[in-house]
Amino acid sequence: MRAVLLIISTLFSLAAMAEPPNGYPFQAFDKAMQQARSENKPLFVYFGRYGCGYCEKTNKEAFSDKQVREIYSKNYVLAYVDSESGKRLRLPSGERVTEREVGTRYNAFVTPVFTFMTADGKPLLRLVGVQRIEDLQQADNKVQRLLNKAARL
Amino acid sequence: MKLQTAGLVLLFIASPLSVQADPWEFSKPIAVTATHGEKIFHHLESSGRHNIAVSADTIAVAWEDNRDATPRIYLARKARNSQSFSNEVQISGQGEAYEPSLIALSNNRFALAWEEDARIHLRLVTPTELGPIISLGEGEATQPGLASDDQQLLLVYSQRDGRYARIWMQDIKINGLALQTKQACAVDAEPAKDEQLFPTIAKLKDRVIVAWEDRRPGHTIIMAAQNDQLNFCHFHPPQRISEGPSSSRMPYGKGHGVARVALAPYGNGQVLAAWADKRNFRDGYDIYSANYQPGNNQLFGPNLSVQDSFGGVAQQWHATVAGDHSGKLVVGWDDKRNGDANIMLSWREDNEWSDDISVPGADGTGEQNHPTISLDAEGNLHLAWIARSTTNGPSRVQYLFGRLID
Repeated sequence: MRAVLLIISTLFSLAAMAEPPNGYPFQAFDKAMQQARSENKPLFVYFGRYGCGYCEKTNKEAFSDKQVREIYSKNYVLAYVDSESGKRLRLPSGERVTEREVGTRYNAFVTPVFTFMTADGKPLLRLVGVQRIEDLQQADNKVQRLLNKAARL
Repeated sequence: MKLQTAGLVLLFIASPLSVQADPWEFSKPIAVTATHGEKIFHHLESSGRHNIAVSADTIAVAWEDNRDATPRIYLARKARNSQSFSNEVQISGQGEAYEPSLIALSNNRFALAWEEDARIHLRLVTPTELGPIISLGEGEATQPGLASDDQQLLLVYSQRDGRYARIWMQDIKINGLALQTKQACAVDAEPAKDEQLFPTIAKLKDRVIVAWEDRRPGHTIIMAAQNDQLNFCHFHPPQRISEGPSSSRMPYGKGHGVARVALAPYGNGQVLAAWADKRNFRDGYDIYSANYQPGNNQLFGPNLSVQDSFGGVAQQWHATVAGDHSGKLVVGWDDKRNGDANIMLSWREDNEWSDDISVPGADGTGEQNHPTISLDAEGNLHLAWIARSTTNGPSRVQYLFGRLID
């Protein structure tokens, strides 16, 4: 019975999800924040929405790259936010918000928006719209330089 | 694009004071609840944004907060001429509760529906008593919305039905303080082909209109359906009411985004739908509206942008709608065109949407967002919203009265 419930629940969660790229450990924003805090790693937050064409294009043309997958999976805790979803999250502050509200707060007014953040949610760099492999590589370089500079101070 | 935006900003700064006469004179804001502080977060976010209502002499606001670490539903009320809210009561039970929907009944009474432990719950509230709580159904259900004709409550909600959520309507008889469930039916007779979410309902004399978010085309659209006058629980096939973008602005992919439709009946049998819409996808969400067209094959008419052209420099969020029997109609939302999130209003005049105003007292520094509005029988505006000094900081629930100027 528990197995059946688990399967049904998995089907529900799949149905409610939009489309983060395959092969990446994307997780819910609140879980990712917890992990980022405990591992002291930066966050890479993908703001998408159900049916977002430019998200699909970026998934196919940039996130499909093996090197991008390795860099982003290694350097960041990955979060995916469906900017139109009512799915509930609990922030480290204790506040309960919806994914849509997270999108509102980080001004995900178009999709996709990719925001690099510190573990406590402070934005470091933001990429708006469709991205190429080189865009994601350059953005990673820039964020790593920012973080290294901050660490030296 | 940037030049266009800069031009609009310059035009805005250089323009003389608006000559438009605002229909309401706004009083100073007052706190809805005295319970606030570190780690306390309030939410006004019912499906359709029905968190404020006026019955006879009483104004009521319903919200959710986590004052005792568990999200629960609370209601505060005030008499019209009182300067403060009092009589605050916990509405929900012992479970985690969310998204209260509030509606006015006659004689200072109100009905509330909310989600608690993944079920829909309801109760009535009178000036002196809280009615018994009833809980609906056995499936996972959320996002309730209410309408009423005083003898009858009509509840819509989104309930898991197999793989997808589906919109249901439940007829509920009011019997004193007690609520008795009657018929229930799926609003779309066809099984859901994808998620159906965030329903809202408007009751007219002889029919109801239900609108919701629907993901059946592979992206989110707004759909609506009306029931049969002779067969309460039979709905005509639903229709899409949010239009696609013009061909010159076609987005790449399956379609653009829309979110969170609100409905308000007004005038003699009219209904307005308003929602956030990203058809001009580079500008983010705008507020769009459409009017119910009784007797027309097309259930709702052409989509109209509600906010004025200055709204193009900012994104609009959290649409709320109110109307009255005289035909007044107003849409509220929040946006950051002036730097901080402020509550904005536009109303229908001379058959078009007015220039936008930011509401004095619900603007300025910090964040003022998540508005919910209601018009009383005299056309006065009642507004509640969430105020914060910082984005992730503790919140307050504020109220403001707009007296109709004769």
